[in-house]
Amino acid sequence: MLKRIVLLILFSTVNLLGAGVVSAADGDQLYNFYCAQCHGQGGKGDGPNVTQDFATDPRNFTNADEMQKLSDADIKNVVLDGGPAVSKSALMPPWSKTISEADVVEITKTLRKFCNCEGPTG
Amino acid sequence: MRKLLFGSALLPLLWLMSGQTWADAAGGAEIFKTKDCNGCHYTEGPAKEKTIEDQLAKKGPELWYAGSKFQAQWLDAWLQDPQIIRLLEYNSLDQPNPGGHAKLAADEAAQVAAFLMTLTSDVVVAGKVKPKSNPKGKLIFKKKMPCSGCHQYEDRGKILGGKSGPSLVGAGTRLNPDWILAYLKNPAEFKPVKMMPVFAGLMKEKDMEKVAAHVATF
Repeated sequence: MLKRIVLLILFSTVNLLGAGVVSAADGDQLYNFYCAQCHGQGGKGDGPNVTQDFATDPRNFTNADEMQKLSDADIKNVVLDGGPAVSKSALMPPWSKTISEADVVEITKTLRKFCNCEGPTG
Repeated sequence: MRKLLFGSALLPLLWLMSGQTWADAAGGAEIFKTKDCNGCHYTEGPAKEKTIEDQLAKKGPELWYAGSKFQAQWLDAWLQDPQIIRLLEYNSLDQPNPGGHAKLAADEAAQVAAFLMTLTSDVVVAGKVKPKSNPKGKLIFKKKMPCSGCHQYEDRGKILGGKSGPSLVGAGTRLNPDWILAYLKNPAEFKPVKMMPVFAGLMKEKDMEKVAAHVATF
């Protein structure tokens, strides 16, 4: 029985380490792959998809005043469920079947670097 | 390897009907190899990409299901006179596609097209989608989902839409309508790591069929 418990603890620890260790660079890579096509590689909302007839202005993540109003939970919500979930444009896709919640956390860290802000606290 | 050969039992019959032969495909495979097309396009499924790095390491689109994705006549013509489909360089967000894809003579193009048409995926179900303009598909494509944000399309003579995805202008002659649906339903089969969101599980299958039918009219 003791052997089983030790094995279980070992197994769980290995799993936690494997799943939880994500470098900060991963957030940048995820951002560049999924988000930059509309929000731009510098986060200014000027990705290559933003042509003259693009029906909305993708959020400029370097705008600290606006980004400061968004909590990490707000960001997670719009990334996973898309623009219409927060009464914004359907051009912001729902990524819930594409990007894991853990990866959204990493992407959010990159967005916070763009705005150099933490969002509302408390 | 099984898929590299003839994924569909129907395919040889279709070939005979279209006048193409096994020799054409074998010759096409040889030309593909000789011209080092494999340097940019892999032709043996299933999909190999597991990470973003894997996707970014690719120089061009995978072709292991080309026979399910493309229309034979379009492939033949395109190989003789390649036109830009992706406005941006493959895997780039800031470099325009310079064009300049290798051009084949007519006899070589016919053989390579015959070879590529042998590369199929079992998940593409034939006869599910008929090209048809329909209000629901159009509404989803233009308004309800973000398709137009990344893909160019033509609307009343005007080219609209984004640049990061392959252009859908002329998709009706380029793509197999059944592949469009299969791709929407099972994207991981074809592209496990891609910049396009997965819509399976978020859209009803009937709606995917409507979108596929609509896109197939482009």
